[in-house]
Amino acid sequence: MSGHQWLLDRVIEAVLTAGVLTSGALMLAGLALDQTPLLKWGIVVLMLTPVARVVVVTLGLALERDWAFALISLWILGVLASSLYVAAHLERPRLQTVAPRRA
Amino acid sequence: MTDPSSWLLALAGAVTGVVGSLLGIGGGAFLVPLLTLFFGIPIRAAIAASLISVIATASASATVNLDRGLVNLRLGLVLEVATSVGGLAGGVLASRLSPRQLFLAFALTLAVIGILVALRSKRRNVIADLAVDPGRLGGRLLEGGKEYVYRVRRLPLAMGASLLAGALSGLLGVGGGIIKVPVLNTFCGIPIRVAGATSALMIGVTAAASAFIYYARGDVVLPLAASVALGALPASLLGARLSDRVQTRYLKILMAVLLLGVAIRMAGEVF
Repeated sequence: MSGHQWLLDRVIEAVLTAGVLTSGALMLAGLALDQTPLLKWGIVVLMLTPVARVVVVTLGLALERDWAFALISLWILGVLASSLYVAAHLERPRLQTVAPRRA
Repeated sequence: MTDPSSWLLALAGAVTGVVGSLLGIGGGAFLVPLLTLFFGIPIRAAIAASLISVIATASASATVNLDRGLVNLRLGLVLEVATSVGGLAGGVLASRLSPRQLFLAFALTLAVIGILVALRSKRRNVIADLAVDPGRLGGRLLEGGKEYVYRVRRLPLAMGASLLAGALSGLLGVGGGIIKVPVLNTFCGIPIRVAGATSALMIGVTAAASAFIYYARGDVVLPLAASVALGALPASLLGARLSDRVQTRYLKILMAVLLLGVAIRMAGEVF
């Protein structure tokens, strides 16, 4: 394993560990204190942890000048971004149908 | 976690997390049936909670695997192209299926997984000799003080399996490792431990691609998902450690029978 690869592995490890620990702490606090915003942020941080990992990998590979794999990594970020886009557009009809019933 | 049901849900996450990681199939295959059949939770909320816990456990076990030098990052990236697209498609498809259709899809998938677990109860290890050039996607693996080299073969097959695994993950909230790991190991020449570790790294991204869609639709029930994920997190790490020591062959045969039983029970919800 090259020095660069070793370093990149350590950075990925750090990002994943930080994401899981932060999210775990938020979720635990949210359940213990019955605080919905904490639970929500715990889950959002967890869902964004793999995205942060791909961002780090893309940057790491670009720094190594491994352009082919940096591009592949960028493509995966694109797929994740499309998922966020699709999710944002799915939300609207649901809110419209739920809101009148609550009122 | 003052609410007693939170403890029960965390326990459900823990038990399915240990069993899933012992068998190398992830917790989702057992978690979703447990949540729907035992706790009476709607299947869409159960799948969403399972996806959240899959992200947590896959991310946690990836850190252990990276530390052990088992992850093949470049191979993982190439296959993630397929799993993330599959995950996105599965998530969109799930939002259009009725609960009955989801139960049926889950029952069918469990039956196939049960058969795969039974067939792979005696797993094979494919390792090439040291003189072989690993190529751009292959790698080296240190195991028991010896160095092994492996090359990746039949990449299109690995991509196809990854696409299917991603779609099933998004559709049903399972990790998809049960499909990728055997294909990577048996047909693509990748050592079982590297296949498992690389698959676990991919699962986080795959599950995230569909989790956003479940979240936006309001299917992620916050206390449910958090309880299950918090239970599954330490359990999956324990399971990963135990899997090196425990003789899992008979456990796998037993679980294959259980999976087939659960498949029939889930199909029973439809008819």
